[in-house]
Amino acid sequence: MPPAGGYDAVQYKRNLPSRGLFRPGPLLAGGALLMLYGWYRVVKGIREQNELAREKMWARIHLIPLLQAEEDRDLVRRHIADQEREKALVGGNFRVYNADRYVRPTFAATPANVAKE
Amino acid sequence: MAARKPVFNQHVLLDTTPLPDTLPKVKEIGASSAPLLSASFFIGARCRDYNDDFMQCKTQHPGQGEFECLKEGRRVTRCARSVLEDINKSCLEQFRAHWQCLENNNQQLWQCRPAEWKLNKCVYENLNLEKVIPDQPKQSTPVHLRTKQIFAHNSIPPWEKPFIPGKSDAAEAS
Repeated sequence: MPPAGGYDAVQYKRNLPSRGLFRPGPLLAGGALLMLYGWYRVVKGIREQNELAREKMWARIHLIPLLQAEEDRDLVRRHIADQEREKALVGGNFRVYNADRYVRPTFAATPANVAKE
Repeated sequence: MAARKPVFNQHVLLDTTPLPDTLPKVKEIGASSAPLLSASFFIGARCRDYNDDFMQCKTQHPGQGEFECLKEGRRVTRCARSVLEDINKSCLEQFRAHWQCLENNNQQLWQCRPAEWKLNKCVYENLNLEKVIPDQPKQSTPVHLRTKQIFAHNSIPPWEKPFIPGKSDAAEAS
């Protein structure tokens, strides 16, 4: 038989009061603030990176014609030398491609005398 | 495929035959990447028209641009050369400091802002060329004038001030 007045209450809950800032609300708010600050820094960094990339790209845009012009002159020089060599060897220039397009040579003729440079 | 670049720099493949005398000669730029990068915005400022001409010519002669655009190419090279010569003449010290800084910092422009500002100032005062990066958002400081940077290894010392043409003139006058 149960005792008179019933049994004592069974303690099934832990007795751990949450105090101060370690309650769900402030913890959540703190986390959110941290995230916000992090995103602020990330966005700032990405924007700066974009601008730096733009700077680099424009620096190259300003240089490309110069480098391309130099390369083209070199290609023309080699092309003319190749044509001359071909003429001297076989007496004429043959059209390898059925087009007027300039095609960068895949193979290069080896000059008879090794360059001294 | 023709797009594959043949390697011409091997010892025996070095073709030293010069251009025929029928084509005018031009002295090549003769600068390596760091000085070119350092001077690129000034080259762009002075030679924009020649550069655009050359690129337009290349677009209008697809496949034949190498031969058709030699004249424009010579102009581009001559103009860029003149910029480098002028910088060498009047701003050699700042120019050297900047491109050597670039050389030592993996050619990252943002590591060398103080040297760049000194070079920009000198070039603006002597050659009247200004570094402008096009298409930047209007509400923010241009990236090459910022005193606080996220990505640079070292922060900029407080006594280094960015060079802004109109502004610093006024500061010196007052």
